Amino acid sequence: MSEPTNENAPENKEPAPNPPQETPEEKGPEPGEFGKLLAENGLTVDPLGPDAVGVEMIGVAPDKVLDVAKFLRDSQITKMDFLMSVSGVDHKEYRESVYHVYSVDTHKSICIKVKADNDHVPSLMPVWPAADWHEREAFDLFGIIYDGHPDLRRLLMPVDWIGYPLRKDYKQDDPRLVWNER
Amino acid sequence: MTATDVTTPQIQIPGVSVEQDTDTEDLVVNIGPQHPSTHGVLRLITTLNGEVVKEMEAVIGYLHRSKEKMAEGVSYFQYQPTIDRVEYLSSFYDHYAYVTAVEKIAGLKVPKRVEYIRMITMELNRITSHLLWFGTFLLDLGATSPFFYAFRDREEIFKIFEDITGARMMYNYYRFGGLNNDITPGWLDKVRYFCDWFPDRLDEYEAIVNKNPIVMDRTIGLGLIDRELCMKYGVTGPNIRAAGVPMDLRKTNPYCCYDEIEFDVPVGERGDVYDRYIVRMKEMRESLRIIRQAIDKIPGGDAAEVEKLRQAVAAKEEAAKAKAKETGEKPEPVPPINPDFEFKGQKINLMTYKPPAGEAYTTVESPRGLLGCYMISDGTPKAARVKWRGASFSNLAALPELMIGQLYPDLMAIFGSLDVIMPEVDR
Repeated sequence: MSEPTNENAPENKEPAPNPPQETPEEKGPEPGEFGKLLAENGLTVDPLGPDAVGVEMIGVAPDKVLDVAKFLRDSQITKMDFLMSVSGVDHKEYRESVYHVYSVDTHKSICIKVKADNDHVPSLMPVWPAADWHEREAFDLFGIIYDGHPDLRRLLMPVDWIGYPLRKDYKQDDPRLVWNER
Repeated sequence: MTATDVTTPQIQIPGVSVEQDTDTEDLVVNIGPQHPSTHGVLRLITTLNGEVVKEMEAVIGYLHRSKEKMAEGVSYFQYQPTIDRVEYLSSFYDHYAYVTAVEKIAGLKVPKRVEYIRMITMELNRITSHLLWFGTFLLDLGATSPFFYAFRDREEIFKIFEDITGARMMYNYYRFGGLNNDITPGWLDKVRYFCDWFPDRLDEYEAIVNKNPIVMDRTIGLGLIDRELCMKYGVTGPNIRAAGVPMDLRKTNPYCCYDEIEFDVPVGERGDVYDRYIVRMKEMRESLRIIRQAIDKIPGGDAAEVEKLRQAVAAKEEAAKAKAKETGEKPEPVPPINPDFEFKGQKINLMTYKPPAGEAYTTVESPRGLLGCYMISDGTPKAARVKWRGASFSNLAALPELMIGQLYPDLMAIFGSLDVIMPEVDR
């Protein structure tokens, strides 16, 4: 109340105090704990710095993601055994498959981002079978094709649905739908 | 347990292979989507061999309301009321995940009092959710009375929620950086009264159910889940804890103020349906323990006390201003109230609120398990992406494998024990 000027546009200034822990790592997105470990083992990943919660994000090329995932799961240091979710993300120019993995033993998590190569991404089901329904959902809503997924069908939308609803450029103009008739 | 274990008859007739002779043609039974005990619209395509389930496929999506797409069409604040509908039995958790995602991206600091109120409401919400599960699960097993007991007790908690949120089920109470309003005077006493009243009810329920021979016969050794299966499908919550894995984000990755609270994580031994029941009953007691401690520790205490302090500071400010007017000098600064329970300065215009660009994945231990909210903000007033990781989604994915080789009549017991709620699966 004592600073009324502060009340109108506070949130634009607010982010500044947040990154104190982030800034040192974000400067030239330096590899974090997992990024370093992966580099030591000959797996190059693209460090993307921590997210707002502090979870390390790494970008991985589609052809390397299976190796990276296998390493993260089997390494005795990381023990990333629990796949929390697979989210499709539409960046307009390209689509991305984002994996959030958690370790039940070490309580740490990591975010793996895979840029889809022409909407194709290798399925991570061989590493984390929990990806099954999550990848089907991302295929259903974003049209990301997970190569190697044994049963890639629509999950939430009807089987005969046209288009991928969560894409940014999605337009619902299916003439079969009642509300599109007029 | 394999299919042959179930079909092997007790009496062996010499010379006749019963197994071969009773092996019938496969029968495909379609269960749902409108089935009274599927707890929502779920379709299960079941292939039966006699009474034994050979194959099962879950078809979901009947309740898909495109909640994730909706988030991209409205402002951050406008999306909030719809969060209640993502998971209507424990919507405080979804709100918490969403609100903290925004707070983390924007770097908003939340007063401790707010976190404590959030913690109390969330734990009460866990009890309502578990109570509903308790009622419907036993209804699935054929017991009618627990359903009525559970709903009566839920109503008591709903009254407590209604006092502060104005709603029984769709609360929409949390805000970015705080709450919609402070708790009402005397509210903490009501919660404390509930905490004293409820354990007796729990004792009664456990006396009715725990050693009930019918319940024990129908649940012990049924629907076994182990750690491997949990990892294979992403099963979380009481289901994984019943399997003996103490995975509880409140303990392992403390959020809110759970690190200041003492509580245990109940775990089961066998991972069967009965264990899942026991774990949930124990969790309700732990929730009560958390609430009791939170009431004692909440900064500022009762709302009436805080109001008194607020008025005292306001009076001091008034006096300082009046004095300054007389003397013509600047008013003396009044020491502010404890920042632990007073949110001063930086007020937010909620309707147009936008966090800066960034992303966050917040996880909460909901009554059903790990609830995640993945948010990407691109600096515009609308979220670029909101993804819900519902615990039920992954818990349900494990059902087909759990059911293989089980008797068809056990379906409801196993499915009920997973505590799946369909709106969270379909979103």
